[in-house]
Amino acid sequence: MRLSRRGLLRAGLAGTAATALGGLASGCAVPTGSTGRNMVLWYWSGGLSDTVVKEARARYDDVVTLKAQQIGGYYRPKLITTMAGRAHIPDIAGLKGEDMASYLPNADQFVDLRTLGADKLKGQYLDWKWQQAVAPDGSLIGFPIDVGPVVQYYQPAVYDKAGLPSEPDDVSREMDTWEKFFAAGEQLKKRIPGTYILTDVGSVFEMSIGQGTTRFVDRDRHFIGDGEHVRTCWDRAVEAKRRGIVSNIVTGTPDSISATEKGHLPSQLNASWAAGDLKLQYPKTEGNWRVADCPGGPSNVGGSFLSITKACREPERAFEIIAWMLNADNQAQGFVEAGLFPSTPASYGMKKLREPDPFFGDQITMDVYGPAAEKIPVAYNSPYDVALGQPIRDEIKNVGVLGKDPEKAWSDAMSKCRRIADHLGVSR
Amino acid sequence: MATLPAVEKPPAALADTPAAKPRTGFRKHWHLYAAISPFYLLFLAFGLIPVGFSLYLSFHRWDGLGSMEWAGLAQYQYLLTDSDFWQSIGNTIVIWALATFPMIFIAMVAAVMLNSAVRFKNVYRFAYFLPNVTSIVAVAIIFGSVFSTNFGLMNALLQAVGLDQVAWLNTPWGIKVAIATLMTWQWTGYNAIIFLAGLQTIPSDLYEAARIDGAGPVQTFFRVTLPLMRPVLLFVLVVSTVTGLQSFAEPQVLLQTTANESTFSGGPDHAGRTMVLYFFQQTFDNNDFGYGAAVAWGIFLVVVLFSIINWRLVRRRGEA
Repeated sequence: MRLSRRGLLRAGLAGTAATALGGLASGCAVPTGSTGRNMVLWYWSGGLSDTVVKEARARYDDVVTLKAQQIGGYYRPKLITTMAGRAHIPDIAGLKGEDMASYLPNADQFVDLRTLGADKLKGQYLDWKWQQAVAPDGSLIGFPIDVGPVVQYYQPAVYDKAGLPSEPDDVSREMDTWEKFFAAGEQLKKRIPGTYILTDVGSVFEMSIGQGTTRFVDRDRHFIGDGEHVRTCWDRAVEAKRRGIVSNIVTGTPDSISATEKGHLPSQLNASWAAGDLKLQYPKTEGNWRVADCPGGPSNVGGSFLSITKACREPERAFEIIAWMLNADNQAQGFVEAGLFPSTPASYGMKKLREPDPFFGDQITMDVYGPAAEKIPVAYNSPYDVALGQPIRDEIKNVGVLGKDPEKAWSDAMSKCRRIADHLGVSR
Repeated sequence: MATLPAVEKPPAALADTPAAKPRTGFRKHWHLYAAISPFYLLFLAFGLIPVGFSLYLSFHRWDGLGSMEWAGLAQYQYLLTDSDFWQSIGNTIVIWALATFPMIFIAMVAAVMLNSAVRFKNVYRFAYFLPNVTSIVAVAIIFGSVFSTNFGLMNALLQAVGLDQVAWLNTPWGIKVAIATLMTWQWTGYNAIIFLAGLQTIPSDLYEAARIDGAGPVQTFFRVTLPLMRPVLLFVLVVSTVTGLQSFAEPQVLLQTTANESTFSGGPDHAGRTMVLYFFQQTFDNNDFGYGAAVAWGIFLVVVLFSIINWRLVRRRGEA
């Protein structure tokens, strides 16, 4: 067939139009809320229980069409660019816990959940978690999904062989401080050469920071990362390295997998959600693990929120849906299904959360996670914490991995922090 | 695009009459412009406008959501004195050099071999091209295994020949070599195919003449093949400069760390933090979109500079 010039032209124009329309249509559903019928929810894979999402869709079907979309890749840049573009903004948006501080200065982009009656539900949620979503102006922009209490995952057989306590209660009690944990690490290394209680120094520093009530930048935008509280955590991590209880293995490589399976790395300090990673990475080790308290007290890593954006036309309805999805019953479902540790203490006593876990030798892990979650200290998270914590984290890694002189590393970290603070307008 | 109307100039006699004069240029040929417009419109919307916006952004402070704040040249002033940025340029160039020169050498050898191979030519071409279309994330995960310290293939090879283990992903040089090896593996075949295309354009009578004049294979290669391949070499060098200087996914996936750390920090001592990785970290980890934009323009300048140097080097040798 020969195409006439006119035909070709028509085809070209149609192509342009189709591309343009396709680009718009695939962007994200229908213009948000404009029909009053569509309610778009953005979250990430594993961020909510699929069952709960499905049930919510059915439950509110007569009033709204809930379009729950899993956003792949880097979530926050996609949400921010959509919001900055002021088009196709989701009505309900998941906000990751580690990003929460960066949303707070822009609380005006979200609906203040207090105006929708959130305060009445406050008592049902962990207070420290609730506080993380409160903006400087007092408004509440996020509703708690889950939390990430840090525990000590360990292999009792290895501890036993090294003459260390191996029952969860005993481990929790006899390794309740960092000092005792380090001593246990020394004994482990002595009794079973080539075995290390810590894979890297990063976890010591990170969990220690999480156990405190101050971080790197305070409410008044002062850099406090050079303070005694950070220095203590730093020294603790350096101490672990000095005592030789830290491995040289890079996390995630076949080396670390093999060493963990063989029991050369019998413990990990990590958040509740890491249990899912353990089960996925080391299926052969089922039954060989237990859960005990984190040395030095509870700490938190991760845990997310749901928010209602200003683009939402029916915030009351959206809030109704969120509050239902994140009630104690549904949070329990989220834990069973996706390892999302509930932010509702009422869930902790529920029967389905107190099932023995075969991966952990039929231990009822909730007995460890639950009390830890309730005791996590409230710390102020500044939007500048990431930028000003990173140089310190990088340098402690250099100490741990490259054997850099700790004093030099600390002064390098501090001079870098001061430069970044000046650049970001954080005073020191 | 601007030269298009000139092809169909009206005859001189017609052009002289006033009535025919106005129907020239755009109005006469609007349908041609319309037909090619999709690309330009899409490029304008999704290419040029964002580029312009990033320039505008680099003179501001912006956290991505709130209001923008004019910063003048502050971001660029900070950029010039930012040792992390300079280190990332150094890292990128070292990794690029470690990857590119072996790559060009191997690709050239492979192409010459392919050119003289008789059987299974297409199978070889396919095999060479395959690494280039493999998902970079999958490749990086495999290379993570290859370079792991205790059970990696690389250390197994080293030990087989009686050498010591190297903690590839834990030492600044090891990291760079690992990333460079990955990039070499990925791009060698692609460039070999391009070299092959170049080799096939060289007329065979030149080779016959060389043979009659008594030139051996090595002499033929350096006196006939290489000079005639110079434009192809230039193309390969420029393309690999542009891609190599923008490497991002390779170090990011290869040096993926635990949840507590930034995935963009590039391993111990930032040894694998390339320019684009640094850009990404500043923009999306630190929420500093203004500075991120300035870093992006810094990267642009470095890439332009390198392309010019490459071009100059290859051309000058051609003129000498």
